[in-house]
Amino acid sequence: MRSDPRRWLALFAHMLVLRPLLHLVFGLNIRGKENLPVQGPCILAANHNSHLDILVTYAALPVRLILSAHVVAAQDYFAPHRLLFAVVDFLFKPVWVDRASGGGDCLERMNSHLDAGDSIIIFPEGTRGEAGKLSRFRYGVGKLASENPGIPLLPVLLRGTERALPRKASLPLPIWQHVSIGPPLELLDRAKDNAEALRESIKALERSEVASRHQRRPERHRPFVVAVLGIDGSGKSTLSRRLCLDLSRKDSTCLIGDSLELFAGGEPKTAQPLLKEKLRRWISAQAKDAKSLTRYKIPKLTELLLRDALLGEAKRWYGPDLVFMDGSPILNMTAWSILYRPDLMSEEFCAKAVALLAGTGMANDPLFKEFPELKVMKRLGLARLSLPDAVIFLDVPPEVSMARIEARGEKMQVHESEEKLGRLREAYLLVTKATGEGIGLPTFVLDGDRDLDSIIIDACGAVVNARATREVD
Amino acid sequence: MQVDPFQVGWKLLAPVLLLLLLGLFLAATRLTRDRYRAPGYLGYFWIFLFICVVTDFLSFTPAVWLMALVSFRALREYFSLVDLRLEDRWGVLGSYLSIPFMIYLIQIDWYGFFIISIPVYVFIIVPFLVALGDNRGRGSLLSIGAIDFGLFFFVYCLGHIAYLAFYSTWLVLLLLLTVTACKVASTLAAKLGRVPAFILSCVICLALTLGLRSLTLVPTGPAIFLGFLVPLLAQMGDYTIGVLERDLGISTEDLEPGRGHVLDSLESFLFTAPIFFHYLRWVMKFGDEINRHAF
Repeated sequence: MRSDPRRWLALFAHMLVLRPLLHLVFGLNIRGKENLPVQGPCILAANHNSHLDILVTYAALPVRLILSAHVVAAQDYFAPHRLLFAVVDFLFKPVWVDRASGGGDCLERMNSHLDAGDSIIIFPEGTRGEAGKLSRFRYGVGKLASENPGIPLLPVLLRGTERALPRKASLPLPIWQHVSIGPPLELLDRAKDNAEALRESIKALERSEVASRHQRRPERHRPFVVAVLGIDGSGKSTLSRRLCLDLSRKDSTCLIGDSLELFAGGEPKTAQPLLKEKLRRWISAQAKDAKSLTRYKIPKLTELLLRDALLGEAKRWYGPDLVFMDGSPILNMTAWSILYRPDLMSEEFCAKAVALLAGTGMANDPLFKEFPELKVMKRLGLARLSLPDAVIFLDVPPEVSMARIEARGEKMQVHESEEKLGRLREAYLLVTKATGEGIGLPTFVLDGDRDLDSIIIDACGAVVNARATREVD
Repeated sequence: MQVDPFQVGWKLLAPVLLLLLLGLFLAATRLTRDRYRAPGYLGYFWIFLFICVVTDFLSFTPAVWLMALVSFRALREYFSLVDLRLEDRWGVLGSYLSIPFMIYLIQIDWYGFFIISIPVYVFIIVPFLVALGDNRGRGSLLSIGAIDFGLFFFVYCLGHIAYLAFYSTWLVLLLLLTVTACKVASTLAAKLGRVPAFILSCVICLALTLGLRSLTLVPTGPAIFLGFLVPLLAQMGDYTIGVLERDLGISTEDLEPGRGHVLDSLESFLFTAPIFFHYLRWVMKFGDEINRHAF
């Protein structure tokens, strides 16, 4: 292969035309050249953001590798443009992969190149993806690495290409290009693990790179939202209020329950009142006075929608670190819809309903026919409720909660009977399970029939853990 | 036509000598690369000197386009560092195109148009281009500010060096020597301790401006004034760009091309060049028709 005169011609094109041109127009900064092996083949895996990526990668390679490297390229992308295909074929000697037919025998071809002593350059993201973001890696690269354990797999980070020639642009702008070549990875047994490790190492390179660039705005403050679910009289209002108070010693917290309260430094804080909050309280009072479940439905639904809108307002105006919601609108609505239609009671339905209410479901789902309210909400653009970051369900037997409600001595709401609360409890349990398994949110089911302090210790631990997990992501 | 043999000899010898010196400098930096890295401003000292030599011994046109390359390098690095959005692409493109626009005006010596080229025409067109690219209007103001800052310093201010070379290469040499001397003085002062950097650089600059009077033709009074003005402006430039470097996340210990090397090297020239130019233009009446071809 190396005696092929066309390869030498391509080498001249790279060294005498492309490389000086890249230096002149963009400027190249190459780090970690010492990580490239002095002899023998290697696999280079780089992030992919732009058409410039491959040119910039080649500009970082020594003559030996330019002569012997093959790029893994998508045949289905280049094939329609004849001239481009010919140029790419001449310059990079690609291993053509047809993504439409699932790749075919490309792995064998790559293996045969490696066996012949040639190197492989691969973009494991498969496609150019979103600018500056590292998308999921295909496992092909992991498979290639684990089938060739003697050949070093090097992560390569390309920075600047996504700004110089992003996906939608046709004209490249002069912006510096940085190439960082990392040390060879230690290979693991499984292809999937190799791909993940590769992605992690490119991310690590990226972190050291990003630190040296200007960031105009700080990251947007994203509060951690915890929804506390439970049937009436389960003590969820008390629990969420106490959690707010206890956790406010370190962070500022916000409680969205029957009223909107703010806490900081371990004590309540006053804040400017919100109009939506006042409206919500009035509607909530209407729901509590309702005589029948049908009369209860409309004001309750409005109240829940307003509660969700209130979350956005609280995030925007108060900027808390932690938000506790006494009942999550999206999950409450799902639970209540199961209550009205017991025949639909299934985990699958719950996950689907949550997705529809969050605005991520399918537009013509058959569920819209079952629930006219959902259709109306969709039409009005209201089916875009926000999901919490963690869910706590306070599990209390209905007879205990009934006893608590009676002890309060207030006027009973329509649904507050032992039988109805029992059904509600089952619905909530199902919804909690569906959000945990179907959507992947951290969910916690706590036994509510014990003293408050021990519940709070459990709940605090759960919230702190869930928050720490999100920070890591 | 009378030919002065001494002048012809000088014309031939000077570039050879300079190239020799440059070669020695490059060899020295190459050899000591691992132990000692030459500061970036020394590199730019040689580049500007080369531009002077080209102006004097070849012609002004290639020299001014070399200056355009320096401007382009500086602007490119600045745009690579600053957090511009994808929507600002048209604005960035317009900024790059403003370099040939301004350089051409210097080349044809249209001073009146040169002096308003960036502050009037480009500063009107660039915001328009940024606005064209951005339909959401989020952060456009900051982008325009960032782009305009780069244009002003790395195109407009550096352009003044090129125009100064058009009037007199000896003055460019004076600027180069004094600014580089200020930099060297501040490193020296930091090493010696005790001696304030500003006083040391003033002493060196005064010696240079007064000593080179016979070549630069600057009158004594203005020469003394320049001896104080250049160190002051160089310090201001160092300080300001130093603050911006911290904002841009440039670590001065680990300068690399594309990561603040150019910015760091040019920082003292950015502030000195325009004021040095305009002061001398006023003192020596460069713009006047009578003096047009005197220098």
